[in-house]
Amino acid sequence: MDILWLGVFALLLIGYFALEGFDIGAGMLLPVLGRTQRDRDEIVTAMAPFVLAGEVWLVAVAGVLFGAFPAIEGEVLFGLYPLVVLLLVSWTLRDAGLWFRRRADGSAWRTTWDWAICAGSCGLALSWGMALVALAGGLSGPAIGLLEPAGALVMAALFALHGWTFLSWRLPGRVTGARRTGWALLGSACAAAAPVSVLLAVLAPWLLDHMAPAGTLSVLSVMILPFAPIMVGAQVWVWRMFGPGRAADRIPSFF
Amino acid sequence: MDVLDLARTQFAVTGSLHFLFVVLTLGLAPLIAITHTRYAVTGRPVHERATRFWGQIYVINYALGILTGLVMEFQFGLNWSGLSHYAGDVFGAPLAIETLGAFFLESTFLGLWIFGWHRLPKWLHLACIWAVTLTAYASALWIMAANSFLQNPAGAVERDGHLVLTDFGALLTNPTLTMALPHVLGAGLWTGGFVVLGASAYQLFRRTPERELFTSSLRTGVITSFVGSLITVGFGYAQFGAISGVQPDKFDGGVLPGLGLGFMIMIGQLLQFVIMFALTPAVYWLPRWRWAHPLLMAMTPLPFIAAILGWLARESGRQPWLINGRLTVADAMSPGLTSGMVTVSLIAFGGVLGLLALVDYLLIARTVRRGPAAATLGAGAPADPNERAHALSY
Repeated sequence: MDILWLGVFALLLIGYFALEGFDIGAGMLLPVLGRTQRDRDEIVTAMAPFVLAGEVWLVAVAGVLFGAFPAIEGEVLFGLYPLVVLLLVSWTLRDAGLWFRRRADGSAWRTTWDWAICAGSCGLALSWGMALVALAGGLSGPAIGLLEPAGALVMAALFALHGWTFLSWRLPGRVTGARRTGWALLGSACAAAAPVSVLLAVLAPWLLDHMAPAGTLSVLSVMILPFAPIMVGAQVWVWRMFGPGRAADRIPSFF
Repeated sequence: MDVLDLARTQFAVTGSLHFLFVVLTLGLAPLIAITHTRYAVTGRPVHERATRFWGQIYVINYALGILTGLVMEFQFGLNWSGLSHYAGDVFGAPLAIETLGAFFLESTFLGLWIFGWHRLPKWLHLACIWAVTLTAYASALWIMAANSFLQNPAGAVERDGHLVLTDFGALLTNPTLTMALPHVLGAGLWTGGFVVLGASAYQLFRRTPERELFTSSLRTGVITSFVGSLITVGFGYAQFGAISGVQPDKFDGGVLPGLGLGFMIMIGQLLQFVIMFALTPAVYWLPRWRWAHPLLMAMTPLPFIAAILGWLARESGRQPWLINGRLTVADAMSPGLTSGMVTVSLIAFGGVLGLLALVDYLLIARTVRRGPAAATLGAGAPADPNERAHALSY
């Protein structure tokens, strides 16, 4: 049971980096690859159907952290206080940018929210990079030390690569000028998820030491595992519905 | 203010903002699912326009529901780590079930619904909005179960200085849950009904070209708020029995619980009186009574205010306990939390979310003002690839 819930936690966190990482990367690259408003609309349209299904993995990570690792939930989030605040504010800005950019007319309105998407995505990447380094250091030192900025830049570069590969796969030969296969996207997903996977492997014994008691885990298993096929099915459905094999979306879409 | 007051203020601000948007989500979701079903069954364009118009209002509102909800979820660990330390083995379970078994599906299916217009097969697209509705209600169940545990820690015993889950069923049969859940869901329907009613009155007052759509939706709004008000008021009073059993002096302590409760009941009773004896009997003629429409518009915010007052009464009536009789709010605060940390995060969350909430309401108002013709949700069919290739060859 302990191994099962450690596995669920790891899967959700790795899934977040793989599936939301390209949205963060594409958001960071929005002003770089999207020189014109039309290009930016095209980028947002490409990522839009994946955002809701991608970011929800982190919501689930936080839920499982609370449910299956209650002894360390507070320790981890409190230990990373400034980074978690930065992450949440960035996430909020990025999402607000996506939801609001096409809700009113005028180029100034849309440009403003496009910058919010870019700033929010950069903030997400940087806070993740710093958080992973801080977690690897065991939360002992100050939340932001010397190694954290380096981690932030590495994570930002990996997300940017993942976002660039996604756009080259979803919009071949368009905003990036390149074409990438689904295999390349899988490769960049592995790259984006590699740092957190290593960290999880290192922290696994510590996580196993702080699992909720068997009674709580049994309740979680009974209440959640029956929904697992629907959750997986819905995620697969998103990818089947909005992959590049389908007819191009009207541009711009709702976002 | 000391650090405890600041942390409590942060929770109150983000929690109130969250419920302002969630209460409308809960009320609109079933109405949109029903409207979409009518469109799927009859194929009439007026139902499609209605689904897209009300659906757009729903999704704009939903954005702030998610964003405030994210901050709520992480706030427990940031400022209140004593809660997960002492009671996480119990309190964490409904939260984990909510995120995985409800919200995960809700968000995924909502994405499919928003971006699946003209892409998904008709019946599967319809199934998405019903899945969104069901999972939103499941979400409400689990969050209310978690909150009810704080009001009355049923199903747990203390061992070695922290709570252990002994009876999961007791979390779901908690007397502070069984009457409060329908109360909250009823308030959602009431709020959703009033928004539909107010927006329809505005469009009819402005002599909308969509007469048929808004005549029908105004009546839907009246009936929905009638049903919602019956459920809300009925289960509201029914809660007093349960509360007197587990929190006998809940509303006697400070000023806030009594005041919040009093004003909520006043708004609720007054509105229920108006709905039952004025709006419902006149439901057939109301769309044509232009003089009444400004009054209907003016009433729209009242259920929101009552809902926030209700939450203030429920939550402040729990003080000084975070978990009634077990853990005080002061003891639950993260050890080492400083005023500086909470002040910065309070300004960051309160400022950003407050501003975005304001923008969100202005955008909802704009969507209402511009009417169904301007709705961008599900606008137009994708260009047929063959036709496009043909057009490009010229």
